[in-house]
Amino acid sequence: MADIKGYNMPDDLYYHEEHSWARVDGNKVTVGMNDFFQKEAGDIVFVDLPEEEDDVSQGEVCGKIQSRKWIGKLVAPVSGEIVEVNEDLEDDTSLINTDPYGKGWILVIEAEELDDELGSLMQGDKLAAFIEKEIQRAEEEKAKA
Amino acid sequence: MTETWRLFRNTTRPLSTAEGLAVDDTLPQSVALNGSCPVLHLYSFVPSAIVGKYQDIEAALRLDRCEARGIEVNRRSTGGGTVIMGPRVVSLGLGIELDHPGLDGGGVGGLFNTMSRILADALAVFGIRACFQPRNDLEVAGRKIAGLSAASEVGKSLLFHTSLLVDFDVDLMLDIMNTPLVKLSDKGYSCFSQRMTTVESGAGRRVEVGAVVDAVAAAFERGFGIRFREDEPDAWERRTIQEFIDNRYTSRDWIFSHKHPRARMGVSRVKTPGGLLEIYLALAGASIENVVITGDFFSTTEDVNRLEKALKWTSAREDRIAENLSRIWKDDMIYGLDVPTLTRAVLEAKTNQERL
Repeated sequence: MADIKGYNMPDDLYYHEEHSWARVDGNKVTVGMNDFFQKEAGDIVFVDLPEEEDDVSQGEVCGKIQSRKWIGKLVAPVSGEIVEVNEDLEDDTSLINTDPYGKGWILVIEAEELDDELGSLMQGDKLAAFIEKEIQRAEEEKAKA
Repeated sequence: MTETWRLFRNTTRPLSTAEGLAVDDTLPQSVALNGSCPVLHLYSFVPSAIVGKYQDIEAALRLDRCEARGIEVNRRSTGGGTVIMGPRVVSLGLGIELDHPGLDGGGVGGLFNTMSRILADALAVFGIRACFQPRNDLEVAGRKIAGLSAASEVGKSLLFHTSLLVDFDVDLMLDIMNTPLVKLSDKGYSCFSQRMTTVESGAGRRVEVGAVVDAVAAAFERGFGIRFREDEPDAWERRTIQEFIDNRYTSRDWIFSHKHPRARMGVSRVKTPGGLLEIYLALAGASIENVVITGDFFSTTEDVNRLEKALKWTSAREDRIAENLSRIWKDDMIYGLDVPTLTRAVLEAKTNQERL
């Protein structure tokens, strides 16, 4: 379990720069939004989920997430077919806030090009440097508010 | 060298909702895909009611009353609640990249900070002192004068939306909207005037829409250190606008989309040591879309508005309600009340909810 300046970023996951995470189990990849995103966004009030059987490409917007009056993007961390979406989010979007890596998972992709694509996602030192930069940006933003 | 941005100024005639919203949606597309610099669109709509992207339009509006009054209805692509538009409301759409150096620190918070500062600068021209109430509102003496909303679009581009009420018809709003205020019937009018204000009310005089548009454009130039070039959509943009009109803003599937949380409304009346507390709650799924706190307790309009704002567009879970209220609570904010009592009253309204 990695803690990067107060943000929980589990070591076994892969991270996209648009703040989605990927948990790999064979060719099935579970996807959600990371702890930094949920803390910065605040209470998530709606998730616009894609349909099962939709195809997505790495980096493609496959859903929308509303927090207050901001609508952000859910970006697919890997390419493949969406085989499952978390229907519990329809009744309780706060699961993304309270349990972002557990009950707040968003969808599962059956990956097609996993070996090629995992290399472009972040882990370890690269992830720590990215999150620290994001924290710095957010702190600058708050200082100017 | 001073950076030049484009300004689409549409003030010679009010736009239909389809045209105005289609132009706005084209702005971030053009920034990301058409090589455009940031574009600001200033305009006004025909009399209309526009819901947020994920609102239940049938729960938010009395559609029969809209039709009877000739009020257009539509759905925008940014978040937030219902807005009533018309020729005396200045609408603003901005297409810009999220990492533009002019946005404070970048990011969504930086966007809202920057926009509120610029709008406050524009309002100062009319002697109005407005300030940002994080995360989404611009206020004058505790009353909302503009709500800010935005959506991430292609690449790093985004669409920012807001509007400034120059003048406003409260009776119209109460007739066509299904807000918690409507439940207050005879109290609705004063409830609205305690929570919102207009440019004319703040200025204390008649203000022309064109003067507000000029002030906003000038404030953008000062705030970003840019110059505007008044412009029209190019051929690529005109095609994109038409596609949005055809495929989105005249489409019943879009306007009456069922991709939204379930809408419910609940009321509670709780006797407390501070007096009778009444809560009117509008729920969207598991979130609070709107809340009105009223009763015969002692407080200030500003404090009640702050409490309501702390709950709007947040989770309706007990722990989150208590946490969001505690974040801004100060002693005697409502005389004789505390956060647990207020939380209990909100939860009781949630328990009494009825589907709209």
